[in-house]
Amino acid sequence: MNELSRAQIRDLMAQVVRNQGRVLPDDDSTDLREIGFRSLDFSELALRVEDATGEELNFDAPGLRRIATVGDVLDFLAELQRQ
Amino acid sequence: MSDSPPVPASTVVLVSGGSRGLGLAIVTDLLDAGLTVAAFARTVTPELEKLADAYPDRVHVGAVDVTDLAAAQRFLRAVEARFGPVDGLVNNAAVGQDSMHTHTATADIARIVETNLTAPLQLTRLVARRMLGQGRRGRIVNVTSICAQRGFPGLVAYSATKGGMDAATRSLARELGGRMLVNAVAPGFFASEMSAVLGSTQLDQIVRRTPTGHLTEPAEVVPVVRMLLCAHTNINGQVIVVDGAASI
Repeated sequence: MNELSRAQIRDLMAQVVRNQGRVLPDDDSTDLREIGFRSLDFSELALRVEDATGEELNFDAPGLRRIATVGDVLDFLAELQRQ
Repeated sequence: MSDSPPVPASTVVLVSGGSRGLGLAIVTDLLDAGLTVAAFARTVTPELEKLADAYPDRVHVGAVDVTDLAAAQRFLRAVEARFGPVDGLVNNAAVGQDSMHTHTATADIARIVETNLTAPLQLTRLVARRMLGQGRRGRIVNVTSICAQRGFPGLVAYSATKGGMDAATRSLARELGGRMLVNAVAPGFFASEMSAVLGSTQLDQIVRRTPTGHLTEPAEVVPVVRMLLCAHTNINGQVIVVDGAASI
């Protein structure tokens, strides 16, 4: 499986955020609410990761609700690729 | 058809998914009301076993996956052999969902549709064929959901199946021409298993928007199910929402 690194996922996340006229902060502890990153943005990012790896990423909402920071997003998707 | 006598109250009722939550509450309530009840679920819980022990002459329980039609058929025949014809059906068994549609595995979508829509349609067909073949009248109650009428994120496939059952309820009522009363009960969100899939923010929002100020409890739904099975009414092909007016 063609797994993306955390840094590569971060680049994709930056693209998603940039497309909405915002900038992804360098600090992984940044709260997602500060940058207006919502569940559909997360979905878009996950689908971009899917496109890059060729593997479907499916997940339940409870896992998503625990995500609060930029770092949480990166960790979640990095872990999801390994499942 | 205009001369059809009223459909009598159900006396022997089959309840799918009767081992816990609303299903168990329905089984308990119907037993308290003096009916004979056959209940199955994937797993027979200690609570359901306890009811079977308490009412040995009026309860038949079994471990049946609702998607296993052959097993459901065997269960139905065993019930008929023990209690006589089944003249009431409560389609309650269902699986929940808590995932965005775009990130729900295709196998999970298929499982939700099979359990919540295909299986109850098959079970209804099975029971209706038995009733019609024996020249009997009976009643069917489908437990659906407010999700069939209002949109909620994370519940796309689930909502579609419940909407499908609401639609089937109306068509069955027409098709069965007054020989059976077919209705649905659509509860709002319970503060229990099914609602565990919603976030606390979502649940708080629902409570705030509910004039009665609380989420629906199974005890508030079972009287409606019992009424549809037992009371002399002309209610047919209807979906009765029990949600404290949260959705209006």
